[in-house]
Amino acid sequence: MAKKYLKEWNNELNICIRCAYCFEGCPVFKVTGWETDTARGKTILAYGVVSGELEPSQYIADKLFQCTYCRDCSERCSANVSVVDILAAARADLVEAGFASDTHKGMAKNVKETGNIFGDKEIKAPTQQGDVPVFIGCQYLARPNQTKMYLKILEKLGVKPLIKDEICCGYPLHALGFRKEFEEHKKKFLELYPEKDIVALCPTCAAYIHEEYGKNVKHITQAILEHLPEKNLGLKATYHDPCDLSRVMGITEEPREILKKLGVEIIEMPQNRKTSQCCGGGGGILMSDVNLSDDIASLRIKQAIATGAPLLITPCPTCEQVLKKAAAVMKEKGNGSIQVKNLNDIVWKALKS
Amino acid sequence: MPITKDSVRKLEDIVGTDNIKNDIADLYIYGSDSSVHKALASVVVRPTKTEQVQAILRYANAELIPVIARGSGSGMSGQAVPIDGGIVMDMKKMNRILEIRPEDMLCRVEPGVVDDDLNRALKPHGLFYPPAPASSRVATIGGEIANNASGIRSVKYGATRDSVLGMKVVLANGDLITLGSNTRVEASGYQLDRLMVGSEGTLGIIVEATLLLKPIPKFRCLARANFDKLKDAGESISEIIATGALPSMLELMDNIAITAVNTTLKMGLPDVEAIVMFEADGKVKETVDAEMKLMKEICEKHNGYGIEMSYDTAIRTKLYAGRKKLFAALSRYQMGLSCTSLADDMAVPYSKMAECASKIHEIAKRNNVVMTAYGHCGSGCMHTKILMDPTKKEQWEGAKRAVEEVYEYVRSVGGTTSAEHGIGLSKAPAWKKEKADSLAMLKAIKKAFDPNNILNPHKLQDAPEDWFSATEIRYPVE
Repeated sequence: MAKKYLKEWNNELNICIRCAYCFEGCPVFKVTGWETDTARGKTILAYGVVSGELEPSQYIADKLFQCTYCRDCSERCSANVSVVDILAAARADLVEAGFASDTHKGMAKNVKETGNIFGDKEIKAPTQQGDVPVFIGCQYLARPNQTKMYLKILEKLGVKPLIKDEICCGYPLHALGFRKEFEEHKKKFLELYPEKDIVALCPTCAAYIHEEYGKNVKHITQAILEHLPEKNLGLKATYHDPCDLSRVMGITEEPREILKKLGVEIIEMPQNRKTSQCCGGGGGILMSDVNLSDDIASLRIKQAIATGAPLLITPCPTCEQVLKKAAAVMKEKGNGSIQVKNLNDIVWKALKS
Repeated sequence: MPITKDSVRKLEDIVGTDNIKNDIADLYIYGSDSSVHKALASVVVRPTKTEQVQAILRYANAELIPVIARGSGSGMSGQAVPIDGGIVMDMKKMNRILEIRPEDMLCRVEPGVVDDDLNRALKPHGLFYPPAPASSRVATIGGEIANNASGIRSVKYGATRDSVLGMKVVLANGDLITLGSNTRVEASGYQLDRLMVGSEGTLGIIVEATLLLKPIPKFRCLARANFDKLKDAGESISEIIATGALPSMLELMDNIAITAVNTTLKMGLPDVEAIVMFEADGKVKETVDAEMKLMKEICEKHNGYGIEMSYDTAIRTKLYAGRKKLFAALSRYQMGLSCTSLADDMAVPYSKMAECASKIHEIAKRNNVVMTAYGHCGSGCMHTKILMDPTKKEQWEGAKRAVEEVYEYVRSVGGTTSAEHGIGLSKAPAWKKEKADSLAMLKAIKKAFDPNNILNPHKLQDAPEDWFSATEIRYPVE
């Protein structure tokens, strides 16, 4: 195996002091309990592979792909190790050595052929002229009603969104190791979006466009908060911080401010803001290891139910999807119930009244 | 005896197929900890109950297979590194809090309970478990006991040994024994529970522990004082302890530590030769006030200045931030340097704290490595780290000399090799020199508990004479 990407992170692998602090919040470790599944375990595997002490294998590849990319490990790392970069590099080398899963290969092909991760040619952005470039992202594009709701919210607040015939932000290609495909895609993306300022609906797209392309990205919650009037919905809810919004973008207060402005009393889960526990939907495991994703989601929904709030609100479409499923399973098993809603539902409910 | 397919099947019968790993990738991961050492486990098993631990040990003892108990593998001296391979017994799944008895100020727990999880469970009762090592977010109670861990508040609350009342232990032959008591005091008789604390898994496997709890203090006040001379800071620490003041924390940071947090994390600490942080806690505010006043006056007497002090949680967090982030700062001190846990936690008599810090600087310079001096000086504990390019052989040569010189100095002033991180492999050569006249007795004790030498072999008194060649080093040394 060439190890061309991983070699660049040799120094970072030596910086890791293997303190195990990354165990504390790792959602995969919380489910499996094996050290192999932690960030430390994965960086040790990366070291083993790059040093030649371990032969790359399907088992190693599976372990290195078994991560939600939630960055809880980076947040807690005592040496500020770039775990996600190491992991992305290891994945890139493994993909080039032929260890990509069929599901992930299919996703990469979908992006190339249709511009979205689902490979659905019918999924199209509702293009329109406007003043503020708004990036919708694959997940919201696949949920046209929700997209419409966000756009109506923006219009109601006096913002005129500029929507292009957009393509995927490229994050899935990069995170899942498809570097060659990503480089081609990146050119197309930057040609389509020469603007410096973008508003993004999806937390992951927002974080990625900001980090990878260096754009000034506002998440939709920030844009909404700037124009939102006060209302009184009289609701009680817990709020789930999407990982990319809280840990990567540092956006933890704006969504809470929105809810407070709308008269929603927030009952916090113990793990909130930068220590929020992942929903289990990220890093590609929703595609490749749905059971693991479900188990992680179930841990988070248990925390939400324990607050006693009747409602969980999140601004991320993937979090919403997996947590809704987990809540349904909990209810079916008689383990408590909680309704899961996207933040846009709440905002629209307040604005339309 | 090597592990065969038959051995794996037998172990699977005991713990079930979901609790065993033997892919090379898993064996590689479970072969290292937070030290510089690495080896390869032969198989990893994860017992969920005492009977399984007994069955594994009976089998291993009969087949002469090494067994290495492991918590989270956060040890810094190679305690959990399976030097000869063997069965790595991951205890993290035995993680039940069995009982909390506020009326008796104790609790019973399984060894895999994480320290912070225990303290979260104790909080509603107004109680806490005091040892508080920095790794409490991941460190397991079993690992802390095996290591006799402690942390920033050991100056007031002691180390793990002071908080363990009793335990259940599985011996090498699989027998289960009960040690200690449920009481605060216990008079004559060999107190084997105390012997077990700090035995690094070489005498038995702890499967349950009874722990002494303390009430959570109502008031806590923290202060930070600046010193232009390291010597003055050291003298303040000595006098604070000598006057009978009761700090709940007494920390020192030298100028390398200060520079590290300022340059890498932009913490904005004053550019001085040393910082002393002191804290008092308690149920009565006036008592805490009095302790703080006394310590402040002592610092001022020794030219301490710019003293900031607060009861407020947010301000205390800010005052302590530089110390808290020090590890991260040292890891990023200079491009190409790694932060290694070598000669990292010696203890010296109070009167030697400042001298010890200066010696560390001298030794580092002489051997072309970077070493800082900081630590829980109220307990006599001096921390350091060796920062070096771990890919260069000459840097390791320098580190080896520095380690030897540091410990030579520590012994010369009547100090001890490890205050709280344990001996394992990397500190064993120095520790054996320190304990030279009791080594035969230590070996006899080991033999009495573990005649076939299956429990974490080649550690403590049985460790190799040269830590550097004891195992492979986990860095890519050229």
